[in-house]
Amino acid sequence: MTETNTSALNPSGDPIRVGVYVCHCGGNISDIIDTKAVAAELAGHPNVAVSNDYMFMCSDPGQALIIDDIKANHINRVVVAACSPTLHELTFRKALHRAGLNPYLFEHVNIREQASWVHKGDHEGATRKAVRLVAAGVEKVVRQDELFPIKVGVEPHVVVVGGGVAGMSAAVALAGRGLGVTLVEKGVALGGRVADLDRVYPTEERGADLVQDLTRQVGGHSRIDVRLGSEVVGLDGHVGKFAVTVRASSVASEDQDRLVRAGAIVIATGFDHYRPAQGEHGFGESPAVITLPDFQSALRQCPASQTSLQANGRSVRSVAFIHCVGSRQIDGVHAPQADGKVNDYCSRTCCTATLHTIRQVQSRFPDVDVYDLHKDIRTYGRGHEAYYEEASRAGALFFRFPDDEPPTFAASTGGKCAGTITTRDILTWGEELEIPVDLVVLATGMVPRDIASLIDLRKLPVGADRFLQEVHPKLRPVEIGVAGILLAGACQGPMDINEACTAAQTAAVKAAILLANPTIELDPFVAVVDGERCDGCEKCLAECEYKGALTMADLQLAGATVRRAVVNPAMCVGCGACVAACPPRAVNVAGWTLDQFDAMVDAIVAEDVGALAHTECRAGVRHIEFAVISGGN
Amino acid sequence: MSPEDDLKILIITTMISSYPGANTVGQARLQYSPGTFIVRVPDPVMFPEEFYLDSFAKGIDGIIIMSSGSDCPYEGAYPRLSKRVGRVYARMKEQGIDTSRLKLTTICTVCKAAFLKEIREMQQNILKAKAA
Ligand SMILES: Cc1cc2nc3c(=O)[nH]c(=O)nc-3n(C[C@H](O)[C@H](O)[C@H](O)COP(=O)(O)OP(=O)(O)OC[C@H]3O[C@@H](n4cnc5c(N)ncnc54)[C@H](O)[C@@H]3O)c2cc1C
Repeated sequence: MTETNTSALNPSGDPIRVGVYVCHCGGNISDIIDTKAVAAELAGHPNVAVSNDYMFMCSDPGQALIIDDIKANHINRVVVAACSPTLHELTFRKALHRAGLNPYLFEHVNIREQASWVHKGDHEGATRKAVRLVAAGVEKVVRQDELFPIKVGVEPHVVVVGGGVAGMSAAVALAGRGLGVTLVEKGVALGGRVADLDRVYPTEERGADLVQDLTRQVGGHSRIDVRLGSEVVGLDGHVGKFAVTVRASSVASEDQDRLVRAGAIVIATGFDHYRPAQGEHGFGESPAVITLPDFQSALRQCPASQTSLQANGRSVRSVAFIHCVGSRQIDGVHAPQADGKVNDYCSRTCCTATLHTIRQVQSRFPDVDVYDLHKDIRTYGRGHEAYYEEASRAGALFFRFPDDEPPTFAASTGGKCAGTITTRDILTWGEELEIPVDLVVLATGMVPRDIASLIDLRKLPVGADRFLQEVHPKLRPVEIGVAGILLAGACQGPMDINEACTAAQTAAVKAAILLANPTIELDPFVAVVDGERCDGCEKCLAECEYKGALTMADLQLAGATVRRAVVNPAMCVGCGACVAACPPRAVNVAGWTLDQFDAMVDAIVAEDVGALAHTECRAGVRHIEFAVISGGN
Repeated sequence: MSPEDDLKILIITTMISSYPGANTVGQARLQYSPGTFIVRVPDPVMFPEEFYLDSFAKGIDGIIIMSSGSDCPYEGAYPRLSKRVGRVYARMKEQGIDTSRLKLTTICTVCKAAFLKEIREMQQNILKAKAA
């Protein structure tokens, strides 16, 4: 249930009293910045009631200083000038909470990574800068209202889209954590691309065995509902409470659509093989030029008893593998893709997949001559380099072509070989070589699957490489810019089975944490609308990319019915695109308002902290429409 | 004090990319002028045109918007921001403000050299504009 209530965000109306605490960080800061001078200057700010410096603010005694001042000195806003907020913002928010103060009435000013450590030769300049930065922090915090986490009720169920190894691993991991799962697979069977692989590197297990094992685990879970031949055609709601419409492709009518309620969604739609352009290294012009997946499939079908390698009805005595086909493309050298861009990313798996295939050829058909033409060899994973060494020891010849001169292939008619490859070889100081071969195998890269309809359902962010884009590979892996939607496997970029399954486990754990309790608390940094300032112009709506995050509603204001913008905080991502479009500044991102930024700039340019204006209290703040999503149905 | 250090350059950074990038510069102990003031925002798309113009009027010498570029996790935010900056440039021209005092760039979490280069270039631009 979604309910909207109206709350004044600073009910107390107490005069604003800021506590400023300048940390020495054991000398990391105080060796450069005169922390005492900073604290002394800030004491002159009209809203600052307490201003101190201390050896380690993050230590227990440091935090106790703040807590004591809140309790004994009636401090109701706190600024700590210390290291980066990425390290200790949460530490200090928790200290405020322990002291009974709203944890968001806090501002963390970075005077270490962005001041003392980068201005070592200018102590005076660094100190002056610190004063301005802390003053800006004070100006921000005096305009800060109490904020409350957004509470959202959760559905203990997850929809996993895509039944490759990543989707299946995620489903098993989620079910193992007690969550219900609907696994939606477009194809007629589970397994994805791995089902097409014979032996897989680096374990040498059979792809079919891996898929069978995972399929058995999926089938053995009563909590997993598998929907084969199905797609997601509707996606409403928000984190904790998505409504997902699943349609079987065999059923044309909407009547049989299945509505699944889920707290989170894991996308695991995988990748497609790059299809070379007509004429790319002779592809499409000669039957002797084929892709690596096609060659692997031919090898798989070739009976173990067969002693010679056959292709196109002729026996193959020499085969050349060309790396980086459709990957690491260069503007001006390679033809652009349909969207006008080249695939400049590395497909990561093809180097090892190629060398792994070369090893299979060498062990099954030792008389076949093998040539490997590459820009670089990137066998980055554990055990992958061994394939390169073994292939080399078993006689494969390696040629390294320049980035801007990919090898060419010319078919011959009636000759002993199917054609000739021409390449320049950096390893022999740029010599131009002609290599007669019977077969050319193009190590085609990975491209994203066409999931445009799924992307459109929720405007999912797509990177420059056209794969789904995680928020940050280190800080927030497998998360996408929409809360509650997670990524698993090769839908977010080229990766091997091991990495795809690791990403799937990460996504499952993140979803399980999200849905562990009956309600979840989301950060309150989402758009808020000041109902009194809003004039209903709807300009903000045009800026919002997130369906359902901003809508218009009729509200009662001073006895009259008025049309105003309303935010659904669970759908809003807090990007602020709407903020800039609002002429009366009625929309802001909570905790990051334009008034706050204006005041910060005033403090940065001010010559004297003491001359900054005194801010009375925030009780006069206009009521803000603040939608709260309450838990449970 | 060198003339660079006397400047007030506002550096707008994103939480997900250029703010951690500025931290990386600090962790590497790379040095730059203290006339630089870094503020972090969820995304600079939130600032209206007036924010930039008002900041110049208040005494900010230069503004570098260090966005997340195509890595921006918010759908459609970067194209919107870049269009808006284009409109700010037009208004700066109208008001006789040197457009080199505003720069939109992309800085990642480990873009140390690019971060320093942007600051250096902005300082040179401002000093050149002041001398003219
Ligand atoms: C030539 C080659 C050889 C390789 N060899 C190896 C190897 O030996 N070892 C190794 O570790 N890795 C190897 N890889 C990598 C491996 O194939 C991938 O890591 C793996 O397939 C990724 O699994 P996935 O589940 O993410 O994607 P996929 O395998 O692509 O599975 C995605 C699934 O999602 C389904 N799907 C797609 N769209 C939708 C939709 N809209 N709705 C519902 N379902 C959808 C698909 O039908 C598919 O079943 C190789 C890759 C290539 C290109």
